Amino acid sequence: MRVAYASGMISGSFAGWWERWSGPDTVGYMTGEHPALALRGLAKRFDSKIAVAGVDLDVPAGSFYGLLGPNGAGKTTTLSMAVGLLRPDAGSAWVLGRDVWTDPVEAKQLLGVMPDGVRLFDRLSGGELLAYHGLLRGMDPAVVDQRAAELLDVLALADAGRTLVVDYSAGMKKKIGLACALLHGPRLLVLDEPFEAVDPVSAALIRDILQRYVAGGGTVVFSSHVMEVVQRLCSHVAILAEGIIKRVGTLEQVRGDRSLEEVFVEVVGGRTATGEELAWLSR
Amino acid sequence: MAVPVNVPASPVRPVSARHFVRLKLRVMGNNFRGQGWRVALFLVGSLVGLWFAVGGFFGLAAPGLAGDDRYALLVAAFGGGLAVLGWLLLPLVFFGVDETLDPARFALLPLPRRTLVKGLFAAALVSVPTLAMLVALSGLVVTAGMFGGWSAALVAAVGVILGLLVCVASARAVTSAFATMLRSRRVRDLAAVLLAVLAALLGPLQIVGLAALQDADWDAFTRVATVVGWTPFGAPWTAGIDMAQGRVWAVPLKLLIAVVTIAALLAWWSRSLESAMVGAASAGPARAKPGLTGGVVAQLFPRAAGWLQRDRFGAMVAREARYWWRDARRRANLITIAVVGLFVPVMVNLGGQGFTIDSEQGFNPVGETSPVLVSLSMLFVGLLAAVTLANQFGFDGSAYAANVVAGVPGRLELRARMTAFSLYVLPMLAVVAVVVALVIGEPTWIGFMAGALVATYGAGLAVNSFISVLGAYSLPETSNPFAMNSGAGVVKGLLTLLAMVATGAIGVPMVIAAALLGDAWLWLGLPLGVAYGVGAALLGAYLAGDVLDRRQPELLAMVTPRR
Repeated sequence: MRVAYASGMISGSFAGWWERWSGPDTVGYMTGEHPALALRGLAKRFDSKIAVAGVDLDVPAGSFYGLLGPNGAGKTTTLSMAVGLLRPDAGSAWVLGRDVWTDPVEAKQLLGVMPDGVRLFDRLSGGELLAYHGLLRGMDPAVVDQRAAELLDVLALADAGRTLVVDYSAGMKKKIGLACALLHGPRLLVLDEPFEAVDPVSAALIRDILQRYVAGGGTVVFSSHVMEVVQRLCSHVAILAEGIIKRVGTLEQVRGDRSLEEVFVEVVGGRTATGEELAWLSR
Repeated sequence: MAVPVNVPASPVRPVSARHFVRLKLRVMGNNFRGQGWRVALFLVGSLVGLWFAVGGFFGLAAPGLAGDDRYALLVAAFGGGLAVLGWLLLPLVFFGVDETLDPARFALLPLPRRTLVKGLFAAALVSVPTLAMLVALSGLVVTAGMFGGWSAALVAAVGVILGLLVCVASARAVTSAFATMLRSRRVRDLAAVLLAVLAALLGPLQIVGLAALQDADWDAFTRVATVVGWTPFGAPWTAGIDMAQGRVWAVPLKLLIAVVTIAALLAWWSRSLESAMVGAASAGPARAKPGLTGGVVAQLFPRAAGWLQRDRFGAMVAREARYWWRDARRRANLITIAVVGLFVPVMVNLGGQGFTIDSEQGFNPVGETSPVLVSLSMLFVGLLAAVTLANQFGFDGSAYAANVVAGVPGRLELRARMTAFSLYVLPMLAVVAVVVALVIGEPTWIGFMAGALVATYGAGLAVNSFISVLGAYSLPETSNPFAMNSGAGVVKGLLTLLAMVATGAIGVPMVIAAALLGDAWLWLGLPLGVAYGVGAALLGAYLAGDVLDRRQPELLAMVTPRR
């Protein structure tokens, strides 16, 4: 019941306001010759550990791009460098043709980011947080009010009222983080683990919103290690392991005639328990 | 169908305090790994600690070395008593406690509370300040030994160790209790009052002490020392002296007082520890508060910031203003400013009789307070208020990423932070100026006092803008407002010192003006001071903002806690 209700909300209002947000002046970015996100030779070393060892990536505009990788593969590091949160040791990143590190103001305007493992300003209520993000992006207060109300409504966060974000559940935090990233109508959405620790109801809602966003001409890049979600949503996939892109292409190219999980485990080189070890588990 | 529960075949080995100590050493060691500057800072901190320790040692050993047994009891009672008082109050006001081992991390382990408290206590003992204290207070052993031989030295040694335990236990118990209290908003006012009372106690004590010093009535002094010697503050320290001076019957009683005190403090700590552990896991059910009247933008702006434009600058000021109140860590800082800012000037200026020693060589031989002395105390309050911002980005932690992603210009960011903090501090400073002026009976001085306050505060904002951008460090994500990362203690101390010295240097013209300009300063002080302060702050934001623009990602990395 809850899902149906939420989906109904979206089909009713979300599609409408999304078209209103993305005015004609942004059309050039959607259809332009620039990829939505381009990475060249991004590398980062922490002390003695090489986290990312030269990543090249082209995310076509209008694609739904999944960045796959096991824990510690360098997904978060790569995305952080791509959006200007972490200065790379080498390489560069472009958002729709704007260099993130030399022309940050232009690039960041086109960009919506939801980092993972990063706190929000969580001693604000959800509404206050949205207002802060909107004004920080230089938006008109009236527009902020209207969009924030719609987002809170669609994401089923309006009931939380003035509860501080610090008291939100994990799923609610993800949803308000997504709302903050969407508020200013970015052309590229970079999400780090958007489905981590999210209950199925919220996950369905987030999926629905992201699909509509891409259908409306936006581009989504997200990292995940949940094969099922990636397989369902993505048009393009890159598999990252040990700081290097191992496979890249459209979902069909990467997957071939096998399941994505098979390809992933093979590429990453995992092992499965043989049954000899851990015998004490089955006493 | 009941599934039989398998008892693990291997017996559970008991956890002892040794494990906690080793864990702490390991965590400290890992913190240093690959961070040369942390090792360097740790060494510097250790050297400073050693310096003070040696100084304290000779101070406390002085009666013994000089062979003057008249002062032995005095030094032991007051020196030791001050040490306990310091351990009790300094963590609250300034330094915080080292939470290398955060109690909340142990919440899920099947540890009896007794084991936990013993372990955490043992781990707390392993620290540079404790070792420095041990060195310093060994001076008492020397004194006792000189007068009473080996037996007295032995008793003194036991006393010193017990005294040290009292120090550490009191620091832990008090900060833990306060952390719990400050987290609950209902009692935050009570906490403020309590802090105020504690700080207020320092004032009368000092005045009494200085008055006594001047009269040089050693008998009266010794009587006070005798009384202090029977309180937990002095009992462990004076036991050795009692032995040396032949009051053997007092020794077991005093040691007993110390032991009972330690036990009581640990029991208290153990109680607040439990709520700290539970509180960290969950701050209670999230209550949905009614609201959503008006737009979200209107919600963001507190009433006191309602005059602001609804733009980037306004939003940042509003958010910061909300944070100074809602974040327990920041609120604790505000309370400290309010309390210390009021009491220190009153103490310094009312204790005028005591300060005649200083002012006799100075400007006012009468022994009354003077414009220079008042300006100096205002200087102190101003720089103390501003130094709160020395790690302003550390308060935000990784949440600062939002501003980096939005690409906020550095100058705007710093100006907004200054404005929001000033919303709280400027009214406080005004109250300080008025109250102090009235208390010392010089209402005409309000103008230049406020001028000196604002000038130093503004200079401090400028200095601390740089410090906060260049020397930020991460704060642990616990709900204990007094918690710090290990190693950060030294960083914090050095940076704070640096900021205060630099601010003081910039603020000194206000004191010189007060000395030289005489009556004209009564009128010129306020406008000139305000212009000086505002100018300094704006210049600081302008210059430091430039640095910030180039360092945003690096700053974010510095304030993000390592996990």
